[in-house]
Amino acid sequence: MLKPEQMSRLLIVATRDQMGPVVTELYRHNLFHIEDYVEAKAEGYEGFKIGTPLAGASEVSGDLVKIRAIQNAISVRADDLDSANKCTRTELKSKIERELPILEREVEELTVRRSKLDVRVKAFEQKIAEIKPFVNIPVDLDLYRGYSGFSVFAGYVAREVTLSVPCEMYFSKGKEKNFIVVIAPVDQRSEVERALQESAFQALPIPEESGMPQLRIDYYSGQISTISKEIAEINQNLVNVREKHAGFLIACEEFLKAEVEQTEVPLRFATTKETFVAEGWVPAQQVDAISDALVNATGGKIFVAVLPTDLEHDVVPVEYDNPSFAKPAQMLMDVYSRPKYTELDPTLVLSIVFPLFFGLILGDVGYGLMLLVMCFGLRGFLKGEESAQLLVVLRNASISSIIFGLLYSEFLGFALPWKPLMFSRHLKIGGGEEGGHGPAIPELMIMAIWIGILHITLGRILGMINHSRQDHGDHRIKAVMANFGWLAVMWGLLMVIWSIAAMPLMPDFTTLPKIVMGINIAAFIGGVMLIVGVVLIARDSALEIVELPTIISHVLSYARIVAVGLSSVAIAMVVNFIAIGMLINPQLEKITITGVLFIIMGIAVFLIGHALNMALGILGGGLHSIRLHYVEFFTKFYKGGGKKYNPFGMKRRFTED
Amino acid sequence: MTLEMVQASQMGMKALGAGLAVGLTGIGAGVAEMAIGSAAVGATAENKDVFGLVLLLTVIPETIVIFGLVVGLLLLF
Repeated sequence: MLKPEQMSRLLIVATRDQMGPVVTELYRHNLFHIEDYVEAKAEGYEGFKIGTPLAGASEVSGDLVKIRAIQNAISVRADDLDSANKCTRTELKSKIERELPILEREVEELTVRRSKLDVRVKAFEQKIAEIKPFVNIPVDLDLYRGYSGFSVFAGYVAREVTLSVPCEMYFSKGKEKNFIVVIAPVDQRSEVERALQESAFQALPIPEESGMPQLRIDYYSGQISTISKEIAEINQNLVNVREKHAGFLIACEEFLKAEVEQTEVPLRFATTKETFVAEGWVPAQQVDAISDALVNATGGKIFVAVLPTDLEHDVVPVEYDNPSFAKPAQMLMDVYSRPKYTELDPTLVLSIVFPLFFGLILGDVGYGLMLLVMCFGLRGFLKGEESAQLLVVLRNASISSIIFGLLYSEFLGFALPWKPLMFSRHLKIGGGEEGGHGPAIPELMIMAIWIGILHITLGRILGMINHSRQDHGDHRIKAVMANFGWLAVMWGLLMVIWSIAAMPLMPDFTTLPKIVMGINIAAFIGGVMLIVGVVLIARDSALEIVELPTIISHVLSYARIVAVGLSSVAIAMVVNFIAIGMLINPQLEKITITGVLFIIMGIAVFLIGHALNMALGILGGGLHSIRLHYVEFFTKFYKGGGKKYNPFGMKRRFTED
Repeated sequence: MTLEMVQASQMGMKALGAGLAVGLTGIGAGVAEMAIGSAAVGATAENKDVFGLVLLLTVIPETIVIFGLVVGLLLLF
């Protein structure tokens, strides 16, 4: 908790003939994060070389390429499939040898035929486009060609042309461009050209066709529709192939991917002629299990040792270590940045506080229930680990939203049959009959400020812990004290404010006895804290002083919890007022035909308005809650930038041993 | 001018002030976020890892409009 998984650096040395079993065993355990061997800068590795792939690597990758090509052609993705029935390795091996070539030929034939047909469709479409301008001129296309004494001009002009030379001219007016065909004697060619140039002539090629233009177009359109039918047939065939073989293809891909990864892994090891050395990271608890397994697999012909970890120079891969309810929030952490190995992992805090903020913003039973239903509904459609995590985060958020909805007494902007148990957010919209006594804005604001103060205080305390762990020597104490200084400035400022003005929900120090120059004891303590804090901050880094105003701006930033929430309540109430108060209710008193129309309109406004407001609420609630963490909370203590723990192996979904 | 008229016009002025506070700060935040946002999208296209950082940079000017909202709410209530 609050700490990443502890890792141990493992060294594996064995003879080269043991490489196969060692690799298989490591892959099966899916625990060993390999530290790649780089020839140039490895210390103590003189004389070692990067390894060469195991036997059979190229065949396996060849097969994998084939499988992926087929998958592309029939668009199959592993995420779209449930891992219902698993295939065993031997079964798959024989199936690959037997069925893959046949399947490959079948799919290739279909795709080649389809692309040929596509090319023909393109060609016909091109011809139609060429003939189209000539449609309005009732002349056989043959008559445009084959003259020795005449030149033919065809193309678009900007305006009508009058020619002084004897000629035959067809002109058809179009919406944007006018089409013109001129047939004139060859010796007058230059004059015609000049006249045409003046009206911005754009020449068009004369189609190599014979017959009336419309008939030719009809003929080609007919051709295209027959080819389209053929293409549809091929697509249907490909769909059939997909339905029949999708499971097999996905299992094959997984199997071959595993094989490729295993055969190519020696490229990451250091080897000599007879031995190989692999270094990597294993979760500390698993070291014994994996060492025993390796010793068993090689019959004892292996040397496995745990190397000491040098936290300053080693880049230790980071794997989260959270209780299961906090695991989905890891996705939100990864969006920002994975924690460093030596850093506190704030996932647990995030997983608790994020839903609270979300609920405070979108506290509405109706929206919460809809979001909950949506989460369960989407579970069937969205596969893959990340979307599953996102749905769990949203589910928690919606439950929190329902709870806060009960506290705020809100259901789609209506009041529930009890008074708000927390501060009211009911606005007075539409004459106030829904609103009651109006919102408790000052109390809500102060509540948000309190949340901000506490959240930031927690952030600074975590910052002190982080610095005391990560930094060394003189800087360590200074950095810890600087964080304390920030806290002192914030709380000192609060003391001063409390001693000047009385506010609801905050301590009131205005009545304390004055001690010197009209300043009371609380203000004095506050002032001292402020000055001490500034000195402590400046001691660590004087430049940080310019950041002092962020104390106020970051705390006030938490006002968005109230502000964004109130805006969503306001929209919901306005929608209700327009739909029910203005459109439906007046018509219900005396139902007429136009009245029914108004009622239908009212229902439409109600549905669309609330759908929009819910979308806005989810976006606003989610984004602002996470932003408060990223910007206001994390900047106090969290840097991130840890390397992801990426063990050698895979989670098998479609295959088994 | 009667007292009611004065009070009504004061209410109106308050509402106007609140509107200006929210509206103008909204424009300010929008203008500030415009440049940051486009740069952020570009940076993310180059390297997906910076997404968290650039999201942070993009939302920094948002504080302006929150201040406007706070002022507006304080004026009205």
